[in-house]
Amino acid sequence: MSDAETPVQRDKWDRLPAWLRPRDVELPGTGRRRLVEVTLLLLAGLLLAIATVNDVVKQTHVNHRLIADLRTWRSYTGHDYRNLSTEQDFYGHTTRDVVCGNTTPGAPKERVQLCLRMTGPVIRGRRTAGGGWYLPPKVEDVPASRYGCFGTAKSAQLCGPAARGSESPEGTSPETGQ
Amino acid sequence: MRGLIVLCALVLVAATAEIVLDGAGGHSPLIPKSPQIAGWLSGIGERLGYRVFLIALLAFTGAYVVMLGLARRISKRWAIVLVGALQLIVFAGPILISTDVFSYIAYARMGVEHALNPYTHGPIAIVHDPVYPYVGKDWKHVATAYGPLYSLLSYPLAPLGLKGAIWGMKLEALLAGCGTLALTWRCARARDINPGGALLAVGANPLWVIYGLGGAHNDLIMTLFMMVAVTLSFAGRDAPATASVLAGALVKATAAALLPFMILSSRKLASVLGALGALVLGALIGYAVFGVHGIDVVAALNRDAAFVSTDSFPTEIAHLVGKPGVFPIDHDLLKGALVLIVAYLLWRTWRGYDWIAASGWTLLAISVTSTWLLPWYTLWSLPLAVIARDRRLLVATLAVQVLFIVHQLAPLLVPVS
Repeated sequence: MSDAETPVQRDKWDRLPAWLRPRDVELPGTGRRRLVEVTLLLLAGLLLAIATVNDVVKQTHVNHRLIADLRTWRSYTGHDYRNLSTEQDFYGHTTRDVVCGNTTPGAPKERVQLCLRMTGPVIRGRRTAGGGWYLPPKVEDVPASRYGCFGTAKSAQLCGPAARGSESPEGTSPETGQ
Repeated sequence: MRGLIVLCALVLVAATAEIVLDGAGGHSPLIPKSPQIAGWLSGIGERLGYRVFLIALLAFTGAYVVMLGLARRISKRWAIVLVGALQLIVFAGPILISTDVFSYIAYARMGVEHALNPYTHGPIAIVHDPVYPYVGKDWKHVATAYGPLYSLLSYPLAPLGLKGAIWGMKLEALLAGCGTLALTWRCARARDINPGGALLAVGANPLWVIYGLGGAHNDLIMTLFMMVAVTLSFAGRDAPATASVLAGALVKATAAALLPFMILSSRKLASVLGALGALVLGALIGYAVFGVHGIDVVAALNRDAAFVSTDSFPTEIAHLVGKPGVFPIDHDLLKGALVLIVAYLLWRTWRGYDWIAASGWTLLAISVTSTWLLPWYTLWSLPLAVIARDRRLLVATLAVQVLFIVHQLAPLLVPVS
């Protein structure tokens, strides 16, 4: 590699060793560096692609579970309401979800709400509603607002001001997660 | 071949129109709550749901990729007409996908209408202002992270009322986007790259059109300053070029990523002086108008670096290895990786590598290693990628965008209702 090929400001940078001097144009090289760079880029791209597809597959499984949760709530209550809110246990990494919806027709959260705690696997398109609670209109699902706990929610003491921590960590409905 | 090009162009226009017309009806999870600004379009389409949106986005992306492959066969005039049509369709419609524009307006109204410093208060401080209900819930308590130049650019829109300000923001984004496209064309021609292809690669990009322009994001203003800097650099005007990079960084700090590469490549005192002059001027104006908080870019960057979004690649990789998400140690590792990448690119630039490509790789690396990735962040490197001498950058940028789009597809594969 001859430095005579590089038309740089020699006077300013002459004191530097040849390998440290700036160049205006890169030397062509043997292609080995390019090969290493392309290999690293491909490996990085592969990692990102696998991670992306893995995330999409996981999300489809979650959506599959949410569909079963919504179907279970509708079947349990006999109401074919569309505006139900769902909360997932992101932090605990369980498959325990909470689905809340109005007990009578009305805008979302404008009526007394019934929340059901879903657990277990999806069997014939539904999951097990092991317990739940009620919420007054226009309030968020926090333990202090809950009343009338039943089933597993009652045994786990999830209702009222003295309730044990929240079972409804920050969640999102799939239609608001963008 | 001509038929295929016409078909792809029609798909691009139809997909954009479908999203805009359906979005104009409101009541969609993809359209932020907003004052009715596109009323004349409502009633034509149906409610925009995830299924239709994702199908339109996929069709748009497919047609875009085919058109890029056929770019040499597309006349420049047709490329301009198509790209212009796409920008205008989106401009005429509602705000798409993001609530950010309402944060921009809230910060402007805080400064102009309420005499509050947007660098020390979040929009919660103007809870009775008409814009407040439209600000995204995650941002109500957050002070602005944008540079003082952007804040000053947005201030004249504040007195226009809410609808006037929204249209003002849309117009700013449209003009900045068109300016970026015009300069991309010019820079491509200066480098003997097909300008029509370069125009299509940026102006017909699905994330540029639907997410960037659709959300009226100020990233387009940042890219405009970046491309002004590149154009000036091509003209040998080193001092104004680095000053323009600094101006971009005073809109959004990310633009500063170009500066070391530009200076290393030119190795002229004028470059350093131009940057310093712009920095001093910007800091003085920022300090005079907003106080010390207005120029404390580091604090804003540190705050934003801690955010985590579900679409970020680090989050996806964390899920892949069985972790619930990224941890503080991961933030440190990512910063370390970014430093290594930038150091390598700086060395390459010193030894003659194309500084535009190095800048583009850096912007791409920032978006890929960021735990807070939003779709319009993948646009930062795009105008540079199409004019870079290293074509791998364009491939990598488009690949990252495709992965982002793939990550959105779960609701299409298993729709929840």
